[in-house]
Amino acid sequence: MRYTVTVGERRVAVEVEGDRVRLNGRGIEARLVSIPRTPLRHLVFDGRARTLAMVRDADAWQVQLEGETWAVSVMDERTEQLEAMTGRQAKAVGGGVVKAPMPGLVLRLEVEVGQRVEAGAGVVVLEAMKMENEIRSTGAGVVKAIHVKPGDAVEKGVPLVELSEEG
Amino acid sequence: MSGPPAPLRRVLVANRGEIALRIIRACHEEGIEAVAVYSEADRLNPHVKAADAAFEVGPPPAKDSYLNVERLLDAAARAGADAIHPGYGFLAERAHFAEAVQAAGLVFVGPPPSAIRKMGEKTEARRLMADAGVPIIPGTTTSLRDADAAVEAAESVGYPVLLKAAAGGGGKGMRVARTSEEVRKGFTQAASEAASAFGDGSVYLERFVDQPRHVEIQVLADTHGTVIHLGERECSIQRRHQKLIEETPSTAVDQSLRSAMGEAAVTAAQSVGYESAGTVEFLLAPDGDFYFLEMNTRLQVEHPITELVYGVDIVREQLRIAAGERLSVPAEPRGPRGHAIECRITAEDPYAHFLPATGRVEYFQAPSGPGVRWDGGIETGSEVGLFYDSLLGKLIVWGESRDRAIRRMRRALEELTIVGLPTSQPFHRRVMDEERFLSGRYDIGYVDSVGEALLGQQLTNEDLEHVAVAVALAEDEARGAVVSLAGNGQQTCTDSAWLLAARRAGLRDR
Repeated sequence: MRYTVTVGERRVAVEVEGDRVRLNGRGIEARLVSIPRTPLRHLVFDGRARTLAMVRDADAWQVQLEGETWAVSVMDERTEQLEAMTGRQAKAVGGGVVKAPMPGLVLRLEVEVGQRVEAGAGVVVLEAMKMENEIRSTGAGVVKAIHVKPGDAVEKGVPLVELSEEG
Repeated sequence: MSGPPAPLRRVLVANRGEIALRIIRACHEEGIEAVAVYSEADRLNPHVKAADAAFEVGPPPAKDSYLNVERLLDAAARAGADAIHPGYGFLAERAHFAEAVQAAGLVFVGPPPSAIRKMGEKTEARRLMADAGVPIIPGTTTSLRDADAAVEAAESVGYPVLLKAAAGGGGKGMRVARTSEEVRKGFTQAASEAASAFGDGSVYLERFVDQPRHVEIQVLADTHGTVIHLGERECSIQRRHQKLIEETPSTAVDQSLRSAMGEAAVTAAQSVGYESAGTVEFLLAPDGDFYFLEMNTRLQVEHPITELVYGVDIVREQLRIAAGERLSVPAEPRGPRGHAIECRITAEDPYAHFLPATGRVEYFQAPSGPGVRWDGGIETGSEVGLFYDSLLGKLIVWGESRDRAIRRMRRALEELTIVGLPTSQPFHRRVMDEERFLSGRYDIGYVDSVGEALLGQQLTNEDLEHVAVAVALAEDEARGAVVSLAGNGQQTCTDSAWLLAARRAGLRDR
């Protein structure tokens, strides 16, 4: 099976054939062993040995290597072809909603409905771990709706402020 | 509190996490029993398991548990403790707590309440220091009435200015302002943060020294009048006034500056009748002038780096001092020997502006080997919540030279494995390769100027290949596993993956 592995903007095609992988046209012996009762896996590949921590969540692998963590997505050949055929490409979902990046307590609102907001402007101040954190808008637009008020406790991912596209 | 030495038998540690564990270990080495306290959220924390006795002191919010003086004293009485060590944070710098401990007939392992009070009122402390001849930065000497008063004061002191909570510490309630508008905004934020964190919203302001370093001096004072210093700690790598990396010696401090700062710190301690371990924080200007910032009247998070280069166990000295014994350190300590660095490993996502993260530690492995010390408060299975500080542990290394220490820190950071939630670890790993850090020429603006660029770095080509091969193999195996559970063959596997993909695609079209 041929897989396309994506880390950030970079893609690598890896073909898995039993104990070998084909990478950049070369067939190389590769073995990955799970270390029991841990998220660790040990890779022996092309004369090198690495230990990686790997956790699979909903749509990506979180891979830790030497103190760094990378979000890695992987797709097999057929899925990739299908997605290409149905024209579904990673289309940017309009960044119109500012969500809570962590659980916390809403301290203050820094915008009001109808206000124009630039990308990077502070919209809500959340308190978490005794610190005030200014949550910033990812895009520019006009505030369409505010879903929280000071004193609200919010979970991670909860929509805070909704922006409409520039009119 | 001087009197004949009375050995401590049982010490209650009024804290949690890594520092509670640190103190419990020191007690055990001294043959003293350690009593842990815990909130409902911390029942299974490592510090509770390490102690000889443990008492629950209330629900998770700190104000109901670790800040609940009545509950803590009740636990001490039930445990038959003869002393209380407050650690850092929580009640460590609350004079009323130290007084309550003493009033209950117990020994407070820390400074006299009067010294805490004098240094705790930051404005008053600066006046005292000025009188004692310790250099201070120009600023207001009384707390600011309102935003208008703040702007007026800022104009007379000169921009830029720093707004600080009078009862503050650890970066909470601090703001830099370069314009009158920023003073107004900063005053409101600092006052509200201070009110919620310390129950005291008073704020004062001072000149902001540009491109300074944050260098602090460790002092030890016993009850027999001996006050010594153990050199400096360089703490300039900070983010929003929270220290991230500390090292000693500082590349900006030579022996003569060390002596001058050390003497000033000893004077500061003596002027308030200090006893126990304490830290005098200074701003060090590029020209070598230094100014008293504040004195932390407690054990400091970063105390281990001093321990490594001076060969002194600071917590052990605290316990000795509390028992009325003399310091076991010579008046002219030998040191610093070699170089030590500490990285604070916090539950914060460096890729998302260091936002606090929560979750379960799915897997934890501490680094070890020559010259490496891990002072941590987590283990596999620990839940990291939002109730307390985000510090998970401190990675500390010693090396014969700064270069050796940095190499060792790189190696230790590569060994440290925390799976389950984002931590500051990648930030530290990258700093250890960063040019300005390597040169030693940095100041407190370091994180603002290089932080973002550091985090933009990518995997090397070789690492990318290894990650890609590992993920492809793991994915292949995961699909195989589904198939074998279903009792189907390889062919069916690819077919069903295909069908699944088709079904997904179909759903998307609707």
